[in-house]
Amino acid sequence: MSTTSFRSRIRESIANETLQKALDANAERRLKGRAAAFESIPDWSERRQRAHEIRTDVIERLNDYLAQFIGNLEKNGVIVHRAQDAAEAIQMILDISQEVKREKGKGDILIAKSKSMVSEEIALNHILEKHDIKVVETDLGEYIVQLRHERPSHIITPAVHLTRAQVAKLFQEKLGTPYMEDIPVLTATARKVLREVFLTADIGFSGVNFGVAETGALCIITNEGNGRMVTTIPPVHIALMGMERLVPNLDDLTLMLSLLPRSATGQKLTVYTQLLHKPLANQTRHLIILDNGRTRLRNSPLRESLYCIRCGACLNACPVFRELSGHAYIGADNSIAPYPGPIGSVISPGLLGENYVQLAQASSLCGACKEVCPVDIDLPKLLTRVRAGQATKEGKKKNGAGLSPLSKFFMRIYSRVARNPRLFAVSQRLAAAGTHLVSPFSNMFRIPAFTGWGYSKDFPRFASRPFRSRWKNDDSGNGKSVNWDIQQVESQAINLPTDQSTVSPTDSFTAELTALGGHVTQTKNVTGSIIEFLKSRGIDRIHLEPNTLDESILQKAGITSTNIPDTGILSGATPHFPVQSSETCGVTKAICGLADTGSILIVDGEGSPLHASLLPEIHLAVLKKSDILPSLPDAMDLIRDKSAAVFITGASRTADIEMTLTIGVHGPGEVHVFLVDDSMGQ
Amino acid sequence: MTEVQLFITCLVDSFFPQTGEAIVDILHRLGLSVDFPAGQTCCGQPAFNAGLRAEARPLAEQTIRVFEKTSGDIVMPSGSCAHMMKHNYPELFADDPAWLPRAKALGERVFEFTEYLVDRLGVTDLGARWDGVLTYHPSCHLSRGMNIDRQPRALLANIRGATIVDLPNAEECCGFGGVMSMEHPELSAEWLKRKISNLEETKSPILVVAEAGCLMHIAGGLHRQGKSQRVVHIAEILNHV
Repeated sequence: MSTTSFRSRIRESIANETLQKALDANAERRLKGRAAAFESIPDWSERRQRAHEIRTDVIERLNDYLAQFIGNLEKNGVIVHRAQDAAEAIQMILDISQEVKREKGKGDILIAKSKSMVSEEIALNHILEKHDIKVVETDLGEYIVQLRHERPSHIITPAVHLTRAQVAKLFQEKLGTPYMEDIPVLTATARKVLREVFLTADIGFSGVNFGVAETGALCIITNEGNGRMVTTIPPVHIALMGMERLVPNLDDLTLMLSLLPRSATGQKLTVYTQLLHKPLANQTRHLIILDNGRTRLRNSPLRESLYCIRCGACLNACPVFRELSGHAYIGADNSIAPYPGPIGSVISPGLLGENYVQLAQASSLCGACKEVCPVDIDLPKLLTRVRAGQATKEGKKKNGAGLSPLSKFFMRIYSRVARNPRLFAVSQRLAAAGTHLVSPFSNMFRIPAFTGWGYSKDFPRFASRPFRSRWKNDDSGNGKSVNWDIQQVESQAINLPTDQSTVSPTDSFTAELTALGGHVTQTKNVTGSIIEFLKSRGIDRIHLEPNTLDESILQKAGITSTNIPDTGILSGATPHFPVQSSETCGVTKAICGLADTGSILIVDGEGSPLHASLLPEIHLAVLKKSDILPSLPDAMDLIRDKSAAVFITGASRTADIEMTLTIGVHGPGEVHVFLVDDSMGQ
Repeated sequence: MTEVQLFITCLVDSFFPQTGEAIVDILHRLGLSVDFPAGQTCCGQPAFNAGLRAEARPLAEQTIRVFEKTSGDIVMPSGSCAHMMKHNYPELFADDPAWLPRAKALGERVFEFTEYLVDRLGVTDLGARWDGVLTYHPSCHLSRGMNIDRQPRALLANIRGATIVDLPNAEECCGFGGVMSMEHPELSAEWLKRKISNLEETKSPILVVAEAGCLMHIAGGLHRQGKSQRVVHIAEILNHV
């Protein structure tokens, strides 16, 4: 069998021990995390079916939902562009950049970019750089692969293929920092460099996890906080989304959000779940909605692949991905497919054509992908459709797309023979005679590696008398007699975890947030408690959302406050070199808390609470006990008419280097919630 | 007497006829009459899975024609062939109004062997005896494709004398995948290695499977590596007294 470059790449990946170790660790950690996270929603299988129905409906009525979505976005003051293909989308981004440059007057344009798989699909960075636009990836993993001039090897964990030593060496070479293999130090280095990027960028760029048709909201989720930075700080924000990434309404969004983070990273909610309706003050927001083959995919037998919400669970569960990583998913022209794994082996050929059809042959159709898919996409079926040539128009007549000529030849001969029962029987006898001749003494014998079969295993002899010639038309019951003890099958009742004991919302909120490394302090005198905290940390200056604390008491205590984003607060010390007195701190209200996830809701408003909860190293939030709601769906009415809102679930974090959890990447490394007891009579 | 149709599958027919005999024995003991319709060969699964639908189609048509002449349940010692007939035939004939209803009608009669025993006949104890340790590999098309897992496990649990130990990471694919193991032998080899090392961890001398493809693949790997463990189809174990 001829060795294609795809197969050589597979061999290289398998031979790379470092990579294999990293991929094993990824699969094990992610699958375990996923399973644990789903235990907290016993009705997950109903949710999954509901999610499948929602996505089916969205793709079915895509044009209606898009019209509604765009109408609402425009009402909200977002500038909407529709791009037919990659070239159009890139031109739109170039045009916006040119306009920004004209207004700026001098100097080059800097784009701070949050993670976006669609931008990988259109190979955006490469082209922007040709136009002297500097683009910096700000997701830690993306930043690392960008410095290495590589493509991400996983859609959720882009640098999953690298070790800390490789990252340390990279930072030493590219950033001139001393060689340090300590992951928190490496993360802090990136934080420092990228903080500068966020603060000086002309344009922030992001993808979109979901668009909400009913309200025109863009939902963007990140753990590190870079998604918030690029949508909050630069004066211009460009979001790029695939046209299929819609949900009808906020309720459907909450359902999707109960499945996406659990499937992606094993979290109940991602640290920062943003909902953006309107541009912030002095901000321009653009949304580019990209087709790039999606309309064709929608009208093809691969339509179901558009249900995908890009959680990456199928990559983690896939035994093929576990050997390869994203870099080995290559097309016939050796280019790396933008989307790897089971879903990538369907949509890469589906969106980008014939070149990537060969990927679909690398699967045993084991179904592990379908099993973990949060929207129940029948990936094995779609893979067989790609193999049957249904991915592309030109493939329509191509039977066995991506199959090697030798396999095709074998299969064609076999099918010919099996079509004729008499010939089939004769062939069985011949094969039996032949294999017994080749291997007279052993039931197994070695065949050459080039056959594929012989590569790792021996081949059995054909039975000298196949079943069909042993069969006698004799129904008289020639079985051995045994004592019968037939019993009915015990129906195996599935024990769902017993639900909702009597934990109070406060206790549940506290337990959830504490488990994420957050801190909860119950108090009746919130200003006093916060002053006490600030003194203990040597902090005398804070960014404060107005009407949150008693400012006269603060002043008396010698603590100055501001409510406009202040450079001193914005660019304080890094957590790696903590200088007590210069730790930065933001204090905001929390509109509500969520008991089941330990999340707090911050909304845009006077005094820039979105900045105050993002830029400093420490975020203090004031939450009334009575504002703790059971779960995300209960909070949707609170954000419906807000220009921008974020649910914060714990401290900024990443696992981008060696899957090691590291706190305080771009957002605050510490989150303290001061829970105010506002119950009557207390 | 209830008559049941046996679809033997091409692999059991050609390589493991004793598995077919065990099934006939068991069904006879349960008081059923078994027929083996002539003219059956291969359901077309290998070609279908490889994407060669034009090659799969005549085999599917042939299989439908052969079994249409019979009535009653169709039983087979393979989850992947059952999956092919139940789920992939409708896909294969989706655009063919003449064949689609025939394919669907056939699919409704299809049962994998352990599913048939447990769900259709309500039998979990076949009076079998096996003195020793056994471990079970749930084949992907059987467990995920057909959602049949408790059935073979329930049958194994009632074997007298047998100690059933859990296979670590049992749900991982063994790496067969039909043509894929020839198309991408490097990948297939890695999973096979892992499956074998998981098997070794159990210390079980026997790996029970309910799928001839996995059986050939794992047994071939064990033989190549000079290992002594055997891979046995569940029907043969269940027929052992």
